Amino acid sequence: MNAEDSLYNPQEARIIGKRKLTDDTKLFELELENGERLNQEPGQFVELSIPGVGEAPISVTSSPTRGLPSFELCVRAVGNVTNALHEKSIGSTVGIRGPYGEGFPTEELQGQDLLFIAGGLGIAPLRSLINYVLDKRDEYNDINILYGCKRPCEQMFDDEVNHWARRQDIYHEATVDFCPDNVCWGGNIGVITELIPGVDIDLDNTYAVVCGPPVMYQFVLEELDKKELPHEHIYLSLERRMKCGLGKCGHCQINGAEEVLYACQDGPVFNYERVKGFEEAV
Amino acid sequence: MKAINKNDFSEFVDDLIENDDREVVGVQTKSNEFAFDPLKSAEDLRLDYDVTILPPKKYFMPQRETLVEYNLNEGETTPVNQVVPRIIMGIHPYDLVAIEQMDKVFEDTHEDPYYLEKRRQSVLVGVNMANVSDRSFAHTMGTATTDTGYDIMLTDIGDRYAIEVGSSKGSNLLEKAGQAVDDITTDEIRKVKQFKEELPKKFKKDTKFDPFELPSLLKNYYENDEFWEENAEDCLSCGTCNLVCPTCYCFDVQDVNDISLSEGERLRTWDGCMLEAFAEVAGDENFREEKAARYRHRYMRKGRYMYNRFGDIACVGCGRCSEQCLPDIADPVEVFNQMKEGTS
Amino acid sequence: MSKPKVAFFDFAGCEGDQLQVANLEEKILDLLELVEVVNFREVISQKSDDYDIAFIEGSIASDHDAERLREIRTNAGIVVALGSCAAIGGINSIRNSQNPELVEERVYGDDADKVEAWDKAKPVDAVVEVDHYIYGCPIDQDEFVHVVESLVQGKEPNIPTYPVCVECKMNENVCVFARNGGSTQISSSEREVQTPGAAQAEQGPFCLGPVTRAGCDSKCVNEGTTCWGCRGLVDSPNENAHKKVLDKYGLTVEEVLNKFNLYFGWQQEERNNE
Repeated sequence: MNAEDSLYNPQEARIIGKRKLTDDTKLFELELENGERLNQEPGQFVELSIPGVGEAPISVTSSPTRGLPSFELCVRAVGNVTNALHEKSIGSTVGIRGPYGEGFPTEELQGQDLLFIAGGLGIAPLRSLINYVLDKRDEYNDINILYGCKRPCEQMFDDEVNHWARRQDIYHEATVDFCPDNVCWGGNIGVITELIPGVDIDLDNTYAVVCGPPVMYQFVLEELDKKELPHEHIYLSLERRMKCGLGKCGHCQINGAEEVLYACQDGPVFNYERVKGFEEAV
Repeated sequence: MKAINKNDFSEFVDDLIENDDREVVGVQTKSNEFAFDPLKSAEDLRLDYDVTILPPKKYFMPQRETLVEYNLNEGETTPVNQVVPRIIMGIHPYDLVAIEQMDKVFEDTHEDPYYLEKRRQSVLVGVNMANVSDRSFAHTMGTATTDTGYDIMLTDIGDRYAIEVGSSKGSNLLEKAGQAVDDITTDEIRKVKQFKEELPKKFKKDTKFDPFELPSLLKNYYENDEFWEENAEDCLSCGTCNLVCPTCYCFDVQDVNDISLSEGERLRTWDGCMLEAFAEVAGDENFREEKAARYRHRYMRKGRYMYNRFGDIACVGCGRCSEQCLPDIADPVEVFNQMKEGTS
Repeated sequence: MSKPKVAFFDFAGCEGDQLQVANLEEKILDLLELVEVVNFREVISQKSDDYDIAFIEGSIASDHDAERLREIRTNAGIVVALGSCAAIGGINSIRNSQNPELVEERVYGDDADKVEAWDKAKPVDAVVEVDHYIYGCPIDQDEFVHVVESLVQGKEPNIPTYPVCVECKMNENVCVFARNGGSTQISSSEREVQTPGAAQAEQGPFCLGPVTRAGCDSKCVNEGTTCWGCRGLVDSPNENAHKKVLDKYGLTVEEVLNKFNLYFGWQQEERNNE
């Protein structure tokens, strides 16, 4: 069988950069060995493959507007594949399949006010879109970024966060659930939903883009409902264990009364209006 | 339509076993049940069976299948597709319908070469149901007979089998039987017709409505937690109903290494949405933690989701899930009829 | 990369699991490429307290056992419970539900009062923290190799959380419950005919597969016998449903409990205490 014909044969990619973001999370910069671009859209994911260990779906955190032909994965060590990746050093190779899935609707969002709400590792997929719109700044209107973590040491991409804070054309707020006494923290302390009332929302033009741990969605959505933001104006990036990325293996199905969605094909980015009736979605 | 003497058919099968390059498999007894297995002799072929333990999907989507081989020292991966060309003897119509549904799944969006190549290199010899298992309800699902999906289809009409040819693969196979294949008589055509007409009477199970009502029934029951909890109370989460189902195709992907840690293979293995860990994600989150949620998911898939995606009701009425569920809670007829009664 | 040092220790048990390791034959040479064995009474005479991975076989049944085990835990980076006795209490825990004095007397006769065993035999994790479990009575050689290979790679071993039925179906076995009747589903009138009590001795229509952790490739059923539950209960067993099934096939409550107690004794007790 030809390598191209097999849906499951990964392409080789070399690690050309590796940087610690938090105690358990690292940023990897990768380049495909064939020199080609990954050609990802913001919000899409890849299947990261480490032969002998397995595969795991990882969202691409870099914007296609930056650093080409390389791309970045922001990876928390939580399982066999991600642990093994953390052990890899610069210069070694891993496998990549993809990019897969529906990313963020960059065209639909043009000319709109954007509200990014990221919780913890949820910043990883959102960062691909944030940097995308910053690089095409004049195509988008107001930009608001709310970013929450459990504690200050878990905030990632400090340099970029500082950059957002400095820019006059971005409204940015950060929060932590908890800040130890001996740590200096200039942001808010409390859950991320506390930051939402402070955002200036234009019901016609604001689009919210949300990504975080499963428990976060419900509270964020309730808060956005208080603002009466139309549900079609909310996009969510949902995490599931996509084993194949091809809409076949069944693991990432999200079921509802009407239909079943495949996070790897129909998502991982979903419009809230589409998935709100889905008991398993949020 | 053609016909062949049963003796000649046996000789034909023995000739294929002996001389054809392809593996010849067919339905045989396995202890007191039936299973598709490689044929050693036409004598072992039991075209009068009622139902097999596993459906023939195992030939296109094996229980364990290598996708990629890798060398850990070199870091190289090589895709492999282990295709065994086969002639599969004795597939009942409901299983043929199920195979046609599976074809759509593996052709959709990204064509899956592992499944599709195995399908291409298989010849499907169907047989109309001479016997019906106690739990089958194929007639009410419209799958007790079929006009498509087979390469050739046999019907037992006494001393001879009537043969319908469904594809060029089928006619090529039949050519190998040479002179033994004869024209069918009008009387025999009448017998085939009669065979099919009388078949529904052999079924003991019946849904009380048109199967295409299922999508709307299931939609109405989706939020009826009590219904699903009651039905799933005795579920063992053993996945039997998934594994024996001819339209279930979910899989897991695993790396298995050689003990020397120098090479290994990436396998896909059968999986099932009724198993507890199926919808787990990183960080111990499980999106279908309760057995009732998993139980509901299975029915939603069979009766609504696949219909929305492909226009098929993904239950073909073979009765295997019902037959093999130990607590006896997996009978779709019971669940479907309960829903219908609760609605009307 | 230096090879991890591996040690084997035995407690109350038959040492059958270590025997499975010793009998790996040609595979053992490959295994020795991955690890260095520093303690293995069945195979080598040397001893060392310097080891990374400790495989513990057998149940823990006395203060002396517990003390020795704690020392091993202190020395080892990774502790693996090897086999049913260590992982789930196993056969030793049959006695847990019996009168300890009678048990000691039956086994040791006049010497019974010299025995300083606990009333209950316990799995390793009742005394110290366990990092990994290799189930089975005896263990499955392939699974042992998989666990070693995973630990060397720093991976979490892949141990099934589903019941044996999954493997049985994949192997297309005739269900144990269907062997005599020709169907898995029987009516109560048929039951009388199918399950005369005496005929159940070896091949009876009962099987613990539906609540037992898979990983053995259903090898007992493949060979024509039934699952006795040696790998212990799955994480969330539906014991009530399984008891109903056994009852449907003619087993009395007492018989059902006996079946469950062969290997599940400790696990059942733990579940009842929850």
